Amino acid sequence: MADLLSVLSGAQSSLAAQRALQATASHNIENANTPGYARQRAEIVTVAPGEMVRGSYVGGGAMVGAITQARDRFLEAQVPQALGAAASSTAESDALSAVHALDPGAAGGLGSALGAFYSGLRAMAQDPTNPSLRAAALGAAQALARSFQGTRGALEDARFGLDQQIAGAAAEATTEAAAVADLNGQIRAARVGGAVPNDLLDLRQTHLDKLAELTGASFVATSDGDVNVALAGGAALVSGTSAGALSAAADPANGGHLALQLTPPGGRASALGVAPGGQLGGALAARDGAIGSAVSSLDGLAANLAGQLNQAHQSGTTPGGAAGGPLFTVSGASGAAASIAVAISDPSQLATVSAPAGAFSNNAQALVATEDALLGGPPGATAEATLSAITSGFGASAERAKSMSDQDAALRDHLSTLRDSVSGVSIDDEMIQMQQAQRGYEAITKVIQVADAMMDTLMKLR
Amino acid sequence: LRVTDRIIFERGTTDIAASRERAESAQRVASTGLRVEAPGDDPAAAGTLAAAPVAEARFRAIGAAASAASDELQAADGALSQIGSSLARARELATQFSSSTYDATGRAGAAAEVDSLLRDVVGQLNTRVGGRYLFSGTADAQKPFDPNTLAFSGSTQQRTVEVAPGVFQPASVAADVAIKGTAGGVDVLATLSQLRDALATGTAATVQSTIGALATSVEQVTAARVQAGVSMNALGAAVTASSTAADSVKSRASHLSDADIVSAATELAFSQTALQASMAATAQGFKLSLVDYLR
Repeated sequence: MADLLSVLSGAQSSLAAQRALQATASHNIENANTPGYARQRAEIVTVAPGEMVRGSYVGGGAMVGAITQARDRFLEAQVPQALGAAASSTAESDALSAVHALDPGAAGGLGSALGAFYSGLRAMAQDPTNPSLRAAALGAAQALARSFQGTRGALEDARFGLDQQIAGAAAEATTEAAAVADLNGQIRAARVGGAVPNDLLDLRQTHLDKLAELTGASFVATSDGDVNVALAGGAALVSGTSAGALSAAADPANGGHLALQLTPPGGRASALGVAPGGQLGGALAARDGAIGSAVSSLDGLAANLAGQLNQAHQSGTTPGGAAGGPLFTVSGASGAAASIAVAISDPSQLATVSAPAGAFSNNAQALVATEDALLGGPPGATAEATLSAITSGFGASAERAKSMSDQDAALRDHLSTLRDSVSGVSIDDEMIQMQQAQRGYEAITKVIQVADAMMDTLMKLR
Repeated sequence: LRVTDRIIFERGTTDIAASRERAESAQRVASTGLRVEAPGDDPAAAGTLAAAPVAEARFRAIGAAASAASDELQAADGALSQIGSSLARARELATQFSSSTYDATGRAGAAAEVDSLLRDVVGQLNTRVGGRYLFSGTADAQKPFDPNTLAFSGSTQQRTVEVAPGVFQPASVAADVAIKGTAGGVDVLATLSQLRDALATGTAATVQSTIGALATSVEQVTAARVQAGVSMNALGAAVTASSTAADSVKSRASHLSDADIVSAATELAFSQTALQASMAATAQGFKLSLVDYLR
């Protein structure tokens, strides 16, 4: 026969279980806005019957089984990759959309300067001894050189700005990696007692998400409960409780722009063999991809155009009879758009006189003819066509990056929503959970009250 | 889908941000009137727009150069007209004084007039416009005719000017041909000089011997004027054609870069309405909570 004291004991255990329900709901509500938090559930289980009455077991109430988290491992495995891809394309798109040096309507743009330069030459070709026209042509040449320098300078400024972003992201990734390694240790220690440290798992997931955004890293869970972090190409950034470091150092082979270095856990720093993903990858792609390509093409245009003009200029003579020298100076093909300058300062040094047997009535016409000269590279690539190709090529990259950014962001948001749908806190759910716990608690107190009354009745028997 | 509070708030944030971005973009297009501002807005159009100033400037410069060359040819034609008048007067004098009616004294008076005509012709041939000689070919700074020796020291190379990309048109009078007769004609200045000398010291017969050369001189100058007229016509056509081409480039660029005002205004109104709707819907979503009903 079940004794009243067993009933009271069972009620006590059941009350504790309801309190745990209430406490878990409260914890969920309090962390509803905590990034990375996965809602928890107090699992209440029946206390195993310890008493048999006439061949039947009598129940002993309820107790807290475990506090579990609502997680969907399938979804969570997809989220880091989506975070990395979205961060990468967004970083690239943002970087490219911030570049205005190649805007078609930009004041002092290369198109206007090139047009004004050849206009100046044409005016001079019509009246080559006119000092005003010679001075204007020389001024237009200087403006063209400045436009090359300004456009390339703006593009290089954008690249150096991205260097700052890369250095900052590398430092941030190092901090995040250290946090993950530290949490691996804390979680390992917490699991020793057999309990699952849910909140530490959430915190580690938050840092892993951030690492995915910064580097596009992939994660591997171990049987010890650790999560190891690997960058693209498999280079380890976090191994158990040891974290590596990402750093950035100037790369002379890339115009002094920063190159990433990885110091793996317990290893020595070396250049990162495979470009990372995430924000770092996007910034690198923008810097060395579309913007870097535009800079190289601009250098090629400046070098080839200067070469053509110099050849034409050197085939003529000045009105004073001196042989024409170079019209522009450039310091080699690399960096030509930055170094291009007009080689002469006196309009009288313009070699506008051509040989009598030449194809033109004056050498200024030979200079004008370079406007239709093919500058090498793609077929039909005159200076005008090359400028058009540089602009449209950069635009295509910017458009592609924006499109990828929108697409990747949509996937990231979709997966994040699905993850939130499983793991997120619903205030409505938790309010109901609290009401449920309150009702249960009230009912159990009634059980205690009745048992107490029965005990009292029993005690008063005479 | 289980909808959590975070989903509601994040979706509100995302949706409003997207609507606001679209409204801002529409507002920018409507206020600037530009459809293509950055290369990424329309890469192909941006490439064309980047090169448009070069193409437009090319045609404008061709037009300006052709116009200036035409002005110079106009001046040269004016000078040739004067020279033609002088030659006509000289021929008239030669015809008149080739008659034995006039004695040496009469011819000496005519010689003085022909000398004056010769000086006028040389003066016309040494005309400068904008600081350069019209009849010196490509030797702009070189005075073409020596007033004393009547020698030609200009360039025999004609000036040319670009009338279309890569197409050149003569833009000067070949004085060596028209005046010095190097292409099988007569030397106009020498003929005038001979007439002057014949009038001063010769006979009626020697005066008469210059009439043929004078007639040829008039023809040469007339031919040069015709050639100048042809060039002026070509240059005038080039001015018109280049202006049309430049306007066409500008128009095409405008067509590529400018927004359609009606579409821009419609998109602006639509995007603003969408933003308001997004805000209203999000705010409504925030209001619904079980917390408000549990007491």
